[in-house]
Amino acid sequence: MRDDSNPSFHRRDFLGGLLAAGSLWATPAAWAQSGNRSADGRMVLVFLRGAYDGLSAFVPYADPAYYALRPSIAIAAPDGTALTTLRLDATFGLHPALAPLEPLWQQGVLAVVPAAGSPDATRSHFDAQHHWEIGQPGNSGAARGWMNTLSGMRAATHEAQAPTAGDARPTALGVGEANPQILAGAAPVQLIPRGQAATRQGVLGDTRTREAVMKLYAGQDALSQAFRAGADSRMQTAQTLTADPTDNAMGSKEMQAANNGAGTAQGLLLDAQHLGTLMRRDRNLRLGFLSAGGWDTHANQGAAAGALANNLGNLAAALVQLRRDFSEPNDVVVVCSEFGRTSAENGTRGTDHGHGNAMWLMGNRIQGGRWHGQWTGLASGNLHEGRDLPVYHDFRAVFAQVLRGTQGLKPADIDRLFPSFAWDNALDTLLKS
Amino acid sequence: MPKINPAEPTRRHALRHIASAATYFVGSFALPSRGQPTATTPPVGSINAERADQWRALSRLGYGPTASLVQTIESTSPHAWALQQLAAAHRASQMPPVVASDLQDIHAPLPQIFEGVQRERQARAAIKAQSAAAANDANDATRQRLDFSGPVEPLHFNRLMIEKTAVWRLTSCSRPELENPLLARMTEFWFNHLNVYIGKGPVRPFVGHYLINVARAHAFGKFEDLLLASARHPAMLHYLDQAQSVANGTRTAQGGTRGLNENYARELMELHTLGVDGGYTQTDVRELARVLTGWTIGPNMPDGFRFLLRAHDSASKKVLGHSYPESLFRRGEAEGEDAIRMLARHPSTARRLSLRLAQFFVADQPSPALVKHLGQVFLESGGDIRTWMQALLESVDFWDPANRLFKTPMDFACSVLTATQSAPERKSLLLTIGFLSGAGQPLHGWQTPDGYKTDAATWLAPEALTRRADYAMQMGKQADHLDFLLPFFSDATRQSVAQERPALRNGLLLASPDGMYK
Repeated sequence: MRDDSNPSFHRRDFLGGLLAAGSLWATPAAWAQSGNRSADGRMVLVFLRGAYDGLSAFVPYADPAYYALRPSIAIAAPDGTALTTLRLDATFGLHPALAPLEPLWQQGVLAVVPAAGSPDATRSHFDAQHHWEIGQPGNSGAARGWMNTLSGMRAATHEAQAPTAGDARPTALGVGEANPQILAGAAPVQLIPRGQAATRQGVLGDTRTREAVMKLYAGQDALSQAFRAGADSRMQTAQTLTADPTDNAMGSKEMQAANNGAGTAQGLLLDAQHLGTLMRRDRNLRLGFLSAGGWDTHANQGAAAGALANNLGNLAAALVQLRRDFSEPNDVVVVCSEFGRTSAENGTRGTDHGHGNAMWLMGNRIQGGRWHGQWTGLASGNLHEGRDLPVYHDFRAVFAQVLRGTQGLKPADIDRLFPSFAWDNALDTLLKS
Repeated sequence: MPKINPAEPTRRHALRHIASAATYFVGSFALPSRGQPTATTPPVGSINAERADQWRALSRLGYGPTASLVQTIESTSPHAWALQQLAAAHRASQMPPVVASDLQDIHAPLPQIFEGVQRERQARAAIKAQSAAAANDANDATRQRLDFSGPVEPLHFNRLMIEKTAVWRLTSCSRPELENPLLARMTEFWFNHLNVYIGKGPVRPFVGHYLINVARAHAFGKFEDLLLASARHPAMLHYLDQAQSVANGTRTAQGGTRGLNENYARELMELHTLGVDGGYTQTDVRELARVLTGWTIGPNMPDGFRFLLRAHDSASKKVLGHSYPESLFRRGEAEGEDAIRMLARHPSTARRLSLRLAQFFVADQPSPALVKHLGQVFLESGGDIRTWMQALLESVDFWDPANRLFKTPMDFACSVLTATQSAPERKSLLLTIGFLSGAGQPLHGWQTPDGYKTDAATWLAPEALTRRADYAMQMGKQADHLDFLLPFFSDATRQSVAQERPALRNGLLLASPDGMYK
């Protein structure tokens, strides 16, 4: 049983740690000077909740075992026609619904780590997501989210640089979820809702009503302070989004579709657009978090067409959108799920909970147009517990490469983010130097 | 609409004020991160203990005060009222619910609901056969949302079922004279624990029936009966794919073969009963899935369930050490029932459910002693929910002012609906449904089987708070006077509200910090 009643971390310790680290960073040898190009990156994490089927997205078409294991849901080997795998190299290809990503692969800004994941073998979505979000595989207890910790580090960096320290504005933005675990913690983060709701000032838009409401929340108690911070953030968000011409350019039909698809991969495009606009307008925001559900395809997942193909198509559209907004030299977009799905299809033309899965990375610093790390195919002797893709690369090791290369984190910082993870030299090819 | 103009002095001052508050907010306190104890300083001024107990009882064992509920609880003590409510809620759970005449479809016999699904499917196929354009038009029907007048078009059957389910649910959560408030609360608890998702195609029309006949009907009965009712209901059979899971190698009518789907078996152990660390393995998941093969929907059966012998895996199986020897004939169905009852009675289940109950009614981090005590009561009573709930109400923890609970969006919406007595008025319900979706807690709309979280770490977020104010201000416009709330609110709130225009007062009362906790 998950023990929620035993907090394993004390915020005060954390704040103490943050202050100590802040003074260290302020020394002349600080690694995050404004001139340091490798520390100015922005990172966006797209989390596909429910465990997306990586073997349908990044297709090991050359492996006969793939077709033997998936008689009715495998994506056909490339033959140049529609509805077959789009060949990338001699081993892998793209699901046809991911065709919009093919140019990014060819430009060398999109890469995949095909057998990555959490070293913990749980097949519980909720446990596995918790592990990913706190950066501690196997720890089901309470802890802060690792992107919140990272956000605190970035904020401290910012303060160390700027003479006007004390301006603790959020450096992380979450779109869509009420309060995702990965962003939960002591550092302030900005959280906006899915869809068009993010563009509305609502009750705050009318001066008299706003003033009357603000008076109710004039106190020094925690709730009142949160309310005031929320009012400030919301007005700025709504104003930025409604004033932005590119954000408004999105067709109303797309918006409608996106709104109806709240919580699903369909809504992802609009959320990606909002994220991009807000992070373009507020340079303080360096970290973004997006998520989409609808990936837990236990039955009738389809193949080149069908439910999963539709989701992948929506994901591709969102990634193309993110590429437009996150193409500065050190920007990186990462796509992942809590685990993978069974290598074999189950008895209902779907897939059950598995282990290893493909992680995607996009950005100018990414050594793209190729995949990274170990891959041993789907022959039964090479599978985890005889059924699932193994995890050859810890997800934290993948993030560690990105964080060192584009966020300026030192090994000690990464250790604080991901306690007791091990650096993975096999992934040293992931980023261009 | 006024825009922020940084050049304007007063505005700039205000922004600085907000910015400095935000800084303070970061330095000296933060939103409760998951697992941290939430701040225990009440935002409310000094409300006497009796009033606080009344608020707690009304807000946790229901969805908050109405004028008439306040009178009732004032005539007795909050503790006595709570126990009376439990007895009344238990009685009510054994009676059919009040379902308005235009909502009767959701409570119709299951074969009739299956028939509606079939008719919609045929109507859609017929239109599709005509032209794709017509199919699109059919989706953009001119019918207004939540308008149930006029005959039901076969084409809109599922859509209407979703809407009717929402109307029944919000009405029963906010009209104490129609539904006992504690029964509505417990229906929420069990529905959330055994969650199904109304966005999954085949689940849609069955959610209302599931709420009424599974969560509500067994709300205060034996947990194992509740679990079994859930396992056999078409909503759950469809939601976690059990309806399709068959013995490996089962032949289909088309000549293909089908087999096992682990989905339901896993979540049954991980979420509905034992918990992720409750002592089962991947092998147990597969074995339990094999035990349950053949459990599927029965569109012509009164309970919507059918055991399909030819799809059952009759070879020997072993779940958590319990052996199911090779079986013949209909024993296969009994295997599944036996396994489900065994899981329901397991000590890990007692622990997990007791933690969830205490988190729902007492505190985000309830005391281990309370959870342990509840677990013992659960086991000793054979999973008798009424006895278990009584132990909770008689605990010191339930009444301890230190055990605060922040309202979820559902809590907040239902408390506003309750205070304003505005359900099932169409505009109020549309506002409520929209608010819940925007807040991230759409009605019956959680996609994954873990159900909604209920803690402050999930729901207390700065921008989200301001959206509660939007909803409250809009709902305030529909309401009569809400003076019965005043005795529960702080002096600061009362004074602040009294200074405003009458037209704003109701909304401000509903939007006040005092109403954010339960």
